[in-house]
Amino acid sequence: MASTEDRVRQLIAENLEVDGKPVDASADASNSLSDLGVSSMDIVSFGRVISEEFGIRLTPECCADLNSIGQLIEFLEANAA
Amino acid sequence: MFASERWWSPFREVSAVTVVHVDLTPHVAHEASASLWLDGNERARARKFEHPGARRRYVLCRAALRAILCERLGCDNGRLSFGEGEHGKPFALVDDTPAEISFNLSHGGGHGLIAIAPEGRVGVDVEERADRRDFDRLIEEVFTPNEQAELNGMRGRRRIALFYKFWTIKEALIKALGTGFSLHPATFEAPEAIRRGAPRSIFRFPHIPGTQWQVEYIGSERFAATIAYETVAYELLT
Repeated sequence: MASTEDRVRQLIAENLEVDGKPVDASADASNSLSDLGVSSMDIVSFGRVISEEFGIRLTPECCADLNSIGQLIEFLEANAA
Repeated sequence: MFASERWWSPFREVSAVTVVHVDLTPHVAHEASASLWLDGNERARARKFEHPGARRRYVLCRAALRAILCERLGCDNGRLSFGEGEHGKPFALVDDTPAEISFNLSHGGGHGLIAIAPEGRVGVDVEERADRRDFDRLIEEVFTPNEQAELNGMRGRRRIALFYKFWTIKEALIKALGTGFSLHPATFEAPEAIRRGAPRSIFRFPHIPGTQWQVEYIGSERFAATIAYETVAYELLT
């Protein structure tokens, strides 16, 4: 079974774009999605995608408080079913 | 710098708030000139952006912000730096001391807006009206039942326009407050008057009823945009 990190990076690759080009899903985990140029609207929408994939509720406040891809992965590993 | 070499220009005066438009279309000379305004930390941040568009938006907006603040505060660029509030909202420092000025910055697509106020908190949001596959998901996540009903009662271009109007109202308010999305945008409702077409309205967050905000929709054919600013301080002065 794919790791949480692999699943998150796969979802980033499949769902996030900047100026019509895919976001670099292999970016260092210390980057936030904002660091990668993703808009606030896309981050909120991506929170819903993550929620559906991992069976948890990832609200816009949660997304705002997770400051890096690494923190998002840690949050999911600690909280997802 | 000559006015013709600038990539920013006056957009709107709203009460004591000045709103400046920043042209973010690709322009090699502007980007080179803008890079010279940034300090070491800002250049390092700029280098982190993988996408040239994201890097360009950051560099052009940040340099324009520096130029505008230096002019307003009467200081050299080298004396200006930035701090960050609890949720990352930046504020200006001159010689490492907080400056008496408020500002906020937003960019979407080819447009940036910078709002500057002499005092009181201010927030701005600008969005290009792109069609999206995930409108339904965003509407469900961000808007209250009343707002959702109004959006879902529309179709086509009118729905897209209303979506972006509502979004910029919400985001300008949470940016003005300084929380960003750490405050869930569905916990408050955009003022009914402005939702129904009035250009401006008074607003209070339900959990902070003692603070009053003026909300003004300043969108154009090119983009949706809203500014929100704290009004109590101004009222006490008049």
